[in-house]
Amino acid sequence: MDRALRKRLETRFGEQLTGPVRQRHDQTEIRIRPADVPEVMRALHDDPELAFEILVDLAGVDTGTHMQVVYHLWSATTPDWLRVIADGMPRDDPRAPSLTGLWPGAEWMERETYDMFGIIFEGNRDLRRIYMPPDYTSFPLRKDFYLADDSARSPGGGVRHMEQTQAPSQATPSVVRRTVKA
Amino acid sequence: MAMRPDGPDDVRGLGVQPDGDPQAAARSGGSGSSLVTSADRDVAQPIVVPNTLWTSVQPDAYGGVDASPFTHLRNLEGSDLVLSDTARWGQLEVIPTKADLIIDLIRMNSLWPLLSGLACCAIEMMSAATSKNDMDRWGMFPFRASPRQADVLIVAGTLTTKMAGPLVRLWEQMPEPKWCVAMGDCTCSGGRYKRSYSTIEGIDRVMPVDVYVPGCPPRPEGLIYGMMKLGQLVKERRGHWPERPIGPSVPEDV
Amino acid sequence: MTASTTPHQHPSADDPRILLDDQIGQFETVPPYPPRTEREAEFYSLGDGEMFLNMGPQHPSTHGVLRVVLKINGESVVDLDPVLGYLHRGVEKLCENSDFHHIISQVDPLEYVSSLFCEWSPVMAFEKLLDVQVPRRAEYIRVLTGELNRIASHALFQGWMALDLGGLTPILYSFIERDEIVDMLAAVTGQKLLFNYFRIGGVNGDLNHEFMSRLGDWMSRATAQHEANTQLLNENEIFVRRMRGIGVLDRDTAFRMAVTGPNLRASGVPYDVRRAHPYSVYPELEFDIPTRGHGRGGDSLDRYLLRVDEVKQSLRIIDQCLHNMPDGPIMAKLPRLLRPRPGRAWAAIEGPRGLYGTYAISDGTDQPFRMKIHDPSFVHLQLVGQLMKGNLIADTMAVMASLDPVMGGVDK
Repeated sequence: MDRALRKRLETRFGEQLTGPVRQRHDQTEIRIRPADVPEVMRALHDDPELAFEILVDLAGVDTGTHMQVVYHLWSATTPDWLRVIADGMPRDDPRAPSLTGLWPGAEWMERETYDMFGIIFEGNRDLRRIYMPPDYTSFPLRKDFYLADDSARSPGGGVRHMEQTQAPSQATPSVVRRTVKA
Repeated sequence: MAMRPDGPDDVRGLGVQPDGDPQAAARSGGSGSSLVTSADRDVAQPIVVPNTLWTSVQPDAYGGVDASPFTHLRNLEGSDLVLSDTARWGQLEVIPTKADLIIDLIRMNSLWPLLSGLACCAIEMMSAATSKNDMDRWGMFPFRASPRQADVLIVAGTLTTKMAGPLVRLWEQMPEPKWCVAMGDCTCSGGRYKRSYSTIEGIDRVMPVDVYVPGCPPRPEGLIYGMMKLGQLVKERRGHWPERPIGPSVPEDV
Repeated sequence: MTASTTPHQHPSADDPRILLDDQIGQFETVPPYPPRTEREAEFYSLGDGEMFLNMGPQHPSTHGVLRVVLKINGESVVDLDPVLGYLHRGVEKLCENSDFHHIISQVDPLEYVSSLFCEWSPVMAFEKLLDVQVPRRAEYIRVLTGELNRIASHALFQGWMALDLGGLTPILYSFIERDEIVDMLAAVTGQKLLFNYFRIGGVNGDLNHEFMSRLGDWMSRATAQHEANTQLLNENEIFVRRMRGIGVLDRDTAFRMAVTGPNLRASGVPYDVRRAHPYSVYPELEFDIPTRGHGRGGDSLDRYLLRVDEVKQSLRIIDQCLHNMPDGPIMAKLPRLLRPRPGRAWAAIEGPRGLYGTYAISDGTDQPFRMKIHDPSFVHLQLVGQLMKGNLIADTMAVMASLDPVMGGVDK
């Protein structure tokens, strides 16, 4: 946990952060608006004190209410991983700027995020589907895409399967629960 | 061989009648008749044989037309349009002789697999083909890269919807006689990816399978056992390919 | 289509009695639809004397189902477009619907030749979410089995490298070595390929007598055997000349393309997650980070030789683990039903192909809310297009094999 990094980020990006800088274990997390992404990333890359040279990961997240794009970066100047969350995209038309100008290696990672979530990266020269066939119409990792549940039709339907997202308290009493008598 | 008299009224029962034999016209979709307009009934002419062997489970697969209304020369065996050949599947017109037995033994002991390793089971298939568990002892060393030269399609690895097209195309390109081995849980039934949105639950939904080798991944010894069983099938001509319909054999409401 | 309702059928070139459907389907290299992106328009427009060659999803290369569309002018490759997705199994979506324990077996088949690393990264992320301290003996066992898996994966890489270039013998030697190592690991994990060994908070079973005896026996001959295997290839002129100077990756391109792992180290950058961002007990272990290609960038031969060097370092690490193995429990005490607090965690490890990372989000239930897996092979496949400019068709295999992709990880 690098407190100095937190101070550096707060002084550098004070008004662009939409939330506090959070730190847990060996990760530092900042939240920004999607429109600020190219600027912040360029600053993180070019600034000699920050020098986040390696873009490690680019992920999309569907929180149920909105979409996020999460970037992970590594720098030789700090022992922490930096996580940048571009938060607050609407679920029906998520758009984010592309990082392919800075890191051309982000092209496929953005394609994958588009394929799984539908997030359009503006500036990506090759935004087409990468995993699913080109005529596929859904975005599989969105929260409104449900896996086909064939167990609902079976005579054993209603039993809590691992696949159904249920709280354990909602399981029917027919489920055998093992109580450990210790 | 004497030429037969010309004329559509002389066409034998298994050809397409230009005036619309219901069986043949329905199967061949109408354009097949353009191939048999020539009055020559030489064997070298394209022979239109209606497909009565298997139909796809989905009625609108293959664009609504039957998959392959041609190529199954098995139906011609009873007729005198072709020379009868004892090395064919199915009905034999002559009593099997020692030569057939030897041909079967030859086939059984040199099954050439097609390199069709998709995922993790491919590693175990390669391990079964290399030094420690050597499949070359039973003649299966050359993993052919081209389907035209292969006998057995060992599908090793998860079949996804995107790959299903190319894999079925590979199967169709393999010349008869051919067999299929479903290696691994993913190909037998979908395995651990049965609930996924992009996998096919078992390759028997798209192609006929002769031997199922379960396991995740099956040990190389398991695959070799499966190939031994396949050898028995080959020897006894018990392959499922001509008889079994495509599609899952589990009823819908289970 | 035309007025006739039936699709046009054309006879096959092999046998005129076989009629094929019109749509060749997935093998259409030129898409019938208008190009959707700039890059597609650029790629699918042919210049003078160019043609498309499709290295389809089924090909003799052993990396898995990858389709590469090559745009060639004679024998030299002008451009190439890899098409993925033929092994996409939806692992991330399945993980969202699985318990934390179930995820370990779901995530195994991603990089199936180095399964333990695929498990290690999510397990570390979950341990960060749950604030679990892993016992030291379990950490040492993880490092030991992980380095064994790394050696097995690099041995397989050597065999595949030669197989892709046409040599059929070295793969046999690689599989001899790999079979010995995985039999050892099977003695302790129970599986030869998809180990399912790591657990949240430790490992599944302790080392047993069979494992230790096999390991001791193997270690006594490991160096000599590895030397013999590499000598088979290193002194082969065809092998060396087919790889030297092909696919040069320089430092700046590597950074901009987000390359990690042996591919980055072969370009002269000593970046190894075990030293750059240490995890587990690696700070206590002594090993070097081999690099190659300082200054000029790394070609395929550098990438190959670097992995050979890494095997030696892994043997060093295994030696130290065996000498310093502490006693103690192998699993932390955890409840059966794991429900971490809502939060986010990222964990990255050094796999044999590069940085393998997991980003896990928990929402307080017993299933993760989102699990993103960062796979190095996925990122490295973007490089093939850049590294192949001006090379010949046969060099495609040299470049692709030297980047060591595993399609299970690429396609998730």
